[in-house]
Amino acid sequence: MTTLAIEGLSKTYADGTEALRDMHLFAHSGEIVALLGGSGCGKTTLLRLAAGLDEPSAGSIAIDGKAVTGTHAAISAVFQEPRLLPWLSVERNIGFGGRRIANGERRRRIDDLLQRTGLAGYGDRWPKDLSGGQQQRVAMARALIGRPGILLLDEPFSALDAFTRSSLHELVLALWQDLRPTILLVTHDVDEAVFLADRVIVMRPRPGRVHETMTITLARPRNKLAAEHDITRRNVLRAIDRSLAGDRISATGGGAISPWV
Amino acid sequence: MRRALTGLIIPVIAGVAWEVAVRFGVVPGRLMPPPSQLLRTAISLIRSGDLQTHAAATMSRVGIGFGFGALAGTLLGMLTGASPLARRLLDPSVQALRAIPSIAWVPIFILWLGIFEMSKLALIALGVFFPIYLGTLSAIQDVDRKLIEVGRVFGLSRAGVMLRITWPAVLPTWIAALRSGLGLGFMFVVAAELMGASEGLGYLLVFGQQMGQADVILVAMIVFALLGKLSDALLVAVTAPLLRWQDTVRARL
Repeated sequence: MTTLAIEGLSKTYADGTEALRDMHLFAHSGEIVALLGGSGCGKTTLLRLAAGLDEPSAGSIAIDGKAVTGTHAAISAVFQEPRLLPWLSVERNIGFGGRRIANGERRRRIDDLLQRTGLAGYGDRWPKDLSGGQQQRVAMARALIGRPGILLLDEPFSALDAFTRSSLHELVLALWQDLRPTILLVTHDVDEAVFLADRVIVMRPRPGRVHETMTITLARPRNKLAAEHDITRRNVLRAIDRSLAGDRISATGGGAISPWV
Repeated sequence: MRRALTGLIIPVIAGVAWEVAVRFGVVPGRLMPPPSQLLRTAISLIRSGDLQTHAAATMSRVGIGFGFGALAGTLLGMLTGASPLARRLLDPSVQALRAIPSIAWVPIFILWLGIFEMSKLALIALGVFFPIYLGTLSAIQDVDRKLIEVGRVFGLSRAGVMLRITWPAVLPTWIAALRSGLGLGFMFVVAAELMGASEGLGYLLVFGQQMGQADVILVAMIVFALLGKLSDALLVAVTAPLLRWQDTVRARL
């Protein structure tokens, strides 16, 4: 049971790019929060700050009410790329996420996760021998083996084809049902946000900030083809439209392009 | 196997042609001894034990010089790779020294270290040092920042990242650097032995030249080639298990 509280978080990079301005967010224990927005709206920056990979310029992050700086054992992440360690076998890559766990228990969890991610029998393969989707499944297993309280997902499905993406959505939900980590999901895919999240935060760019927060009340398990899904999806799209409205006038002005796409 | 045999076609044809040309008096055999003569010379050098002595002397020089050069290059490369301060402080000086052709050190090494082993080993170590230093440094700088972030997210300390991310990531380039260093080691052992030695394959080269024995020179050259290739193959074989994970397995030695 882990909550994540982000208060007044801002990040201005050394080159003067204001990537994130005064971000407030409270994620309840076990909640899935999707950060939705295009490039340059600070969603990846927010995730990097939460992961402890970058230092905020202002503001604070608290886990279960305790302020944290830097990386934290309760926080785990899956990135846009699988980022597996190419010199470790699949099972040792998974085990890498749980180095603090006792050997026997780690072995058991690795086997369990291999099974659940559909990678049973792939344990001693090298990452290079796996497809992109399989590699991302390994990354997911690596992130979850330590039973993190908070799971950060930085567009982990965006590089995958529609079929693979869909099956990974199912996998994430299945694992989430069991382990109930609080999930912060960065995405630019409206369907994905509506399908996975309890709450969607629409962000707007330059500087990155919150535009609108929407609660997704669809019952689980959700159906992407259901009419309610479509209605919710359109509501989110409208919110995105509104978030862009302010920018339209200045759209030709050409602001700084953030490198954190 | 068949591919390997393909590579033998040209040497075999050249050898036979050479042999025939000498037999029919087209070329003088004394300056251009044919393969059969080289074989006889090699056998007699082996029988007398001379070839073994010279080869052993050369190999021990390469081994010791390479060992010191590789160790120094690796340690310094790791230091400058890991610490920006050390890099700003040390790298310009190392680069400046690298601009001096290594052979140019020979006279000063002889003055400082004498004509015997020390100056030879110093020259070889110096020659080996630079490619390994550069290889280690640039490999560390090229490590994927994204993998280092993985290490940090999953709770590795700075030392842990170095040991479990940086080091395995650096291995392929480092081993490639060792190989080019070893190649240079053989180059510099020749230079070292040419400048004055009483044993070693380089000495055999000089001896053959002074005695007008082209066959001895050619045998020494061939043995150099064989030992160089063998050492490289050994290095590759020893390090191969470390690199099994690589996507591009080195196709040839």
